[in-house]
Formats: sequence, structure tokens, C-alpha cells
Amino acid sequence: MKKKLNLAPVFFVGPHLILFLVFVVIPTIYGIYASFTQWNLAGSPNWVGFSNYSTILFDTTSTFHTQFFNGLKNTLLFVLFTVPPLIVLPLMIAVALSHKKLKGKTFIQSVLYVPGLISISASALIFTLIFNKQLGITGNVFGSTIAWATHQPYAWITIILLTIWGGIGGNMIIYRASISGVSEELYESAELDGAGPIRKFFSITLPSINFPLIYTFVMTTAGAFNVFGQPLMMTDGGPQQSTSVLMMYIRQLAFGSGESIAGMASAMAVLLGLVILVISALQYYVMNRNAN
Amino acid sequence: MKRKLGALVTGFALTASLLAGCGNSNANDPNTITFWTPLTGEDGAYMDNLVKAYNDTNPAVKVKHVVTADMYTKISTVLSSGKGVPDLAIIHADRVPGYVKQNQLEAMTTVMQAQPELKEDNFLPQAWGAGNIDGTQYTIPLDIHANVMYYNKDLLAKYGAESFLDDNNVTVDEILSLKGKLDEGDYVVNDALLGWAMLGQIQNLNGDIQKDGKPAVDTPEMKTAIEDVKKINDAGLMTPFGEDGYLMFQSGNVLFSTDGTWSSTAHASVENLNFGVTNVYSVSPDKFTNRSSSHLFAMFNNEKRLDEKEKGIASFLEFIRANSVEWAKAGQIPASKQVVDSPEFSEYMQSFFTKDEKEIESLYIYTYEYYPYIAEAVDKYVGDLVRGNLPIDEGLKTMQKEVEDKIAESNGAAAKSGE
Repeated sequence: MKKKLNLAPVFFVGPHLILFLVFVVIPTIYGIYASFTQWNLAGSPNWVGFSNYSTILFDTTSTFHTQFFNGLKNTLLFVLFTVPPLIVLPLMIAVALSHKKLKGKTFIQSVLYVPGLISISASALIFTLIFNKQLGITGNVFGSTIAWATHQPYAWITIILLTIWGGIGGNMIIYRASISGVSEELYESAELDGAGPIRKFFSITLPSINFPLIYTFVMTTAGAFNVFGQPLMMTDGGPQQSTSVLMMYIRQLAFGSGESIAGMASAMAVLLGLVILVISALQYYVMNRNAN
Repeated sequence: MKRKLGALVTGFALTASLLAGCGNSNANDPNTITFWTPLTGEDGAYMDNLVKAYNDTNPAVKVKHVVTADMYTKISTVLSSGKGVPDLAIIHADRVPGYVKQNQLEAMTTVMQAQPELKEDNFLPQAWGAGNIDGTQYTIPLDIHANVMYYNKDLLAKYGAESFLDDNNVTVDEILSLKGKLDEGDYVVNDALLGWAMLGQIQNLNGDIQKDGKPAVDTPEMKTAIEDVKKINDAGLMTPFGEDGYLMFQSGNVLFSTDGTWSSTAHASVENLNFGVTNVYSVSPDKFTNRSSSHLFAMFNNEKRLDEKEKGIASFLEFIRANSVEWAKAGQIPASKQVVDSPEFSEYMQSFFTKDEKEIESLYIYTYEYYPYIAEAVDKYVGDLVRGNLPIDEGLKTMQKEVEDKIAESNGAAAKSGE
């Protein structure tokens, strides 16, 4: 007997699949293809093989080599500065909020979550004003005489504070949800055995929320590698390009005011994608192995 | 089975219609001219007023103004797909050579034939010339917007510096003469639009940003310009690095602000700011230049644009030519001579720059094909060079190399496009 074709799953997956193909798979494949070409977005791409990659990686005299490595260095710094606080702080807050006797949990949670709903450009404008020497709180209330955006390490501090302020809520919600799923009985048994709060955190809470931790760690890291808005709005890459992240160079090459240099920009984007892929895979592997 | 198939088809149709909704349905409407502009600021509202006034004349084809954020990126997208190309757009002067080279602009020939007053004689020469490539006119100008220098009248009087304005040329030497004479917290000049001010100095020193079609950034003129302006910084007369010099001018702590014609409306809204406008300071006592750009009307290639629409565009542009005094409210200098010569325009502050031939000549628009790359490099490095954060020779070498590398890439791509 001929097996009946079941189209129901296709119906459910189909629309997503089409959108995924149109907006993710095809552009990614075309982006990888473009990275092997010289292309100004207007004419047809000119195939140049690995030339863009060899220029970016090995031609030390080339502007694109300098831009790529400076951008990558600054992006890595951003990742190092922001990912640990974006994991640890929300986790600490989530644990604190799970305390039974705490009142006003929903209010505190909302206050911390709302910044994540504000667009980066709007948040950056608010922070620019806060750190504005003439108009801002830092100058008028705390008497700071520093022009934050143009002096290090202050330029980085403004970017990091903005990122943490805006990013803390998302991870916190995930941790809150996972912690609330941990069985109360485990904590009660631990208490009977004489375990203190720190012991309970490391022996019960952390192992129980293992998967959400891996997920947030990998996603936060991948997101941090794609940083663009915060340094663009807060410091415009300065002072002396010390906060120019890779996405800023990629964007300026592809969509600057001059003729587009989309081939080189695509090659940089592919290399960035590879870095993210390798680091995410490593994170996942290491954390998963430890968890097991 | 039939029901399942039906549901599947419906699902696909819904998705397809969702995607189709992303397109611009107005672009092919024969009774509407879709008009894209990058005017995301207050100027967009003034353009709305002009479009509304035109539509109120009951033209055969009405204009729909679409303020388009990130317009140039969207233009490259619609040009690549060939769908949703606007009928008319406003582009900046420095974009013209690139678009023409890529064969993306349609010449204004038929538009000019339809409205004979849309001709060179009726517009400010540099605004008209910015759209002329090898004898073909690709754009009709709307305005010139320039880097200019505002001055605080009260502060000039306080420090006895009113004589600086006598010959309409405030020199760097005159600025330096105020060294040691200012109260704490006061400065002579800010660093607003410093890149533009520097590109103006190149003209003041009779230099250029290209030589025989090759980019010329690392030049003696550029070095002299930076060194001279750096003297203002070194003397402590320029607003400190990273501080909001524009705001400091508005709060009455800076004698001169080198921002744009369009800032006059914002400055005018500040209470007790008694200000005027003059030419940007010069490193030369003999010449002054106000580095400028221009908003230009252009038609991107679109086979579907009907002749009727082009006639409609011509009639709209003629309306703008005759009525663009409204545009002066946005702080811009209309490109139409009829408007510039009108008594109504003389009431606007920026009419200072069209009061005589010498002033008109001072509005300099760079038309070098690779100007955008040079401007990007200048904007990126000039602040650090003037502030002494980067050695001038090293900075100039880096800028030159950066521009050359970008041009080489762009030529590689263009070689293929031209096949």
C-alpha cells in the first residue's frame, strides 16, 4: 500500500523555511561568493579568488590588513570587557531575586529589563548626554572634567556601561526562569545537610541551569562580536581608532560615502563569521564537557 | 488531501504576499512621482512644504515625497534588483561622479527640453557644474550648503576683535593674536566640521586633492594647512578635544564656530545668542574658501519611467526653481539665481554668501571622482593631527595610502563592470 504523504509538518515548517532561505541562507552564500570578488554593488562582481583574504591576512602594508586587525583587536577587547559581566551580573541578580523574602521582585525585574527594550541609538543618545561634560551628570554632579568619548580608558568605559545597562535584562530573565524550575526539595535537602547559600549556589543552582548558561554564554559572545551601534554612536571609533570595531570598518567599506568596496568588506565579514563560529563551538564544547 | 494541499498553498501565498509587501508599490504608479530624499532632519519638513505647495497647483502627475533614512544603501539595493527605483531623488554632489561612472543616472536632457528655464544660466555655477560630467547634465541643483563661520558679536566686542571681520577674511594669524587675552573657559574657535574647514584651506593655499586624476592627500599644502590650524590648538585657543564646541558656541563661550549654513536656525533659537555669519577662517590673507556641497535632483536609471512622468518631473523642478525660497528656511542657499536675487532671500542670514561674485566663488564644491574616499580619510584623521595626537607626516602618509588602496579596489571592480 502506498504510504500517504503527510503535508502537515511542511505547512508548519514551510513559511519559516522560506524566510530562513531568503533572509539567511541565500545572503550568506552570496556574501561568501562576494568575498572572492572585487565588487562595487553596481556592476557584476569580478572574481579574484583568495586575493581579498591574502591581502587582509598577509599584506602588512595594506590599509585593509591594518583595519582588519585593529578592528578585530578592538572587537575582542569589547567581548572580553562585556561578556563576563553580562553573564555574572544577571546571574547574581537572578539568584538574589529568587530569595523568598524579597519584596517587589517584579518591579526590580522590570526596571532591569526595560533598558533592553530601548534601541541602541536612543540609549546611546541618553548616555552621550549623561557623559557630556557641559550638560551631563558626570560633569555637573560629580565634577568630572574629562571628555569621556575622546580619552581612554573613559571611551571604553562609556561603551561598556551602555552595553551592560542595556544587556543585563535579557539574560536575567532566562536565569530567573531556569532557577524557578529547580526543585525546592533539593535546596531543602541541602539545608538539612547543613549547606550554606554559597554551597547551594555552586552545588545545586549552577548545575541545574547548565543548559541556559551555555546558551546565554554562546549567544552573548556571538552578539558581542557583532558590536556596532555602541562605539559608532558613543565614540565614533575614537580616540585614534581605539574603539573602531570590525563591523564599523566592514560597514564603511561596503556602504561608505564613496564607491562600495563590497568584496573586501565581505571577506572581512566572512573572517569575522569564522572567528565567531570557532569561538562559539569551543565554548559549547568546553562547557558541555565540564557539565557532563 | 485536497484540504491539506489547500492549506499549504494558502501558507505559501501568505508568505509570498508578506515578502511582496516589502516592495515599493508606488514606484510604478503612473500618476505619482516617487521622490526619495535623505532629508531626515528638520529640512525634510521644509521639503514637504514645497512638495505640498506644488501638489496644490493640481499638476497632471503629483509628487510623493519619501524621506528615506540610509537612502544610499537603499538606492544600491533597488538598483541591483531593478524594482522600486524612485522616479526622482535628491543626492549629494560628491555622489554624482560615482553614479555616472557606474552608468546609474539618467541624463536630464528630456527634462531640460520640457522646461527650457532649467538651464545653466539660471543656477549658481558650481551647483550646476557639480552635475555636469563630460558635457552631459545629470542633475538639476536644489541648493548649496556650505561650511561657514558664525561669530558671537558680544564676544568679538568684548575682546576687541571686530576688526577681524573687516575684509571678510578672518586669518589664522588674527586668531592667534588673541593668545593670552581670553578669560578662562572662553575660546576663539571650535572644531565643528574640522575636516571641511581643512579641505577649504587646501584651496586657500592653491592646492588640490588630486593631481592628473590621482589622489593627492599627502601634499605640502595639506601639511601647511594642518600645521597652521594646529597652531590655534597649541595656543589653547581651540575648544578642547572631545568637548562639544558647537554647544560651547551656543552657550556663549566661543567667538567663532565653523559649522554649516544649516545651523543658523538652531543658533537663532538660542536665547541671548547675538551672532552673525562670515567666511571660514583662512591660513592665507589673500583667499578664503567655504567648502560646500550641494543637494541635487537626479533620476536613477529606470526603464519603467514613462515620458509623462519625466514631463511631470520637469514641471516640479521648474516649480522648485521659481519657489525654493521656502528652502532657505532650512538654512540652505537655494541654487536658483531667481531665488537668490529675490529681496525675500536677502532677509536670510546665508544671503551673505551670494551678495557678490567673490562670495559666490568662495563656495567650493569638490568634484573629484574619488573625493568621498578623501573626505572619509580627512574626517577620520584630521582631529588627531590638529590635536597633536598623531605626527603629521605619519598621518598624511596613512591617509594617502588608505585612499590609494580604496581606489585600487574600486578600479578592480569597475574594470569588470565596464566590460
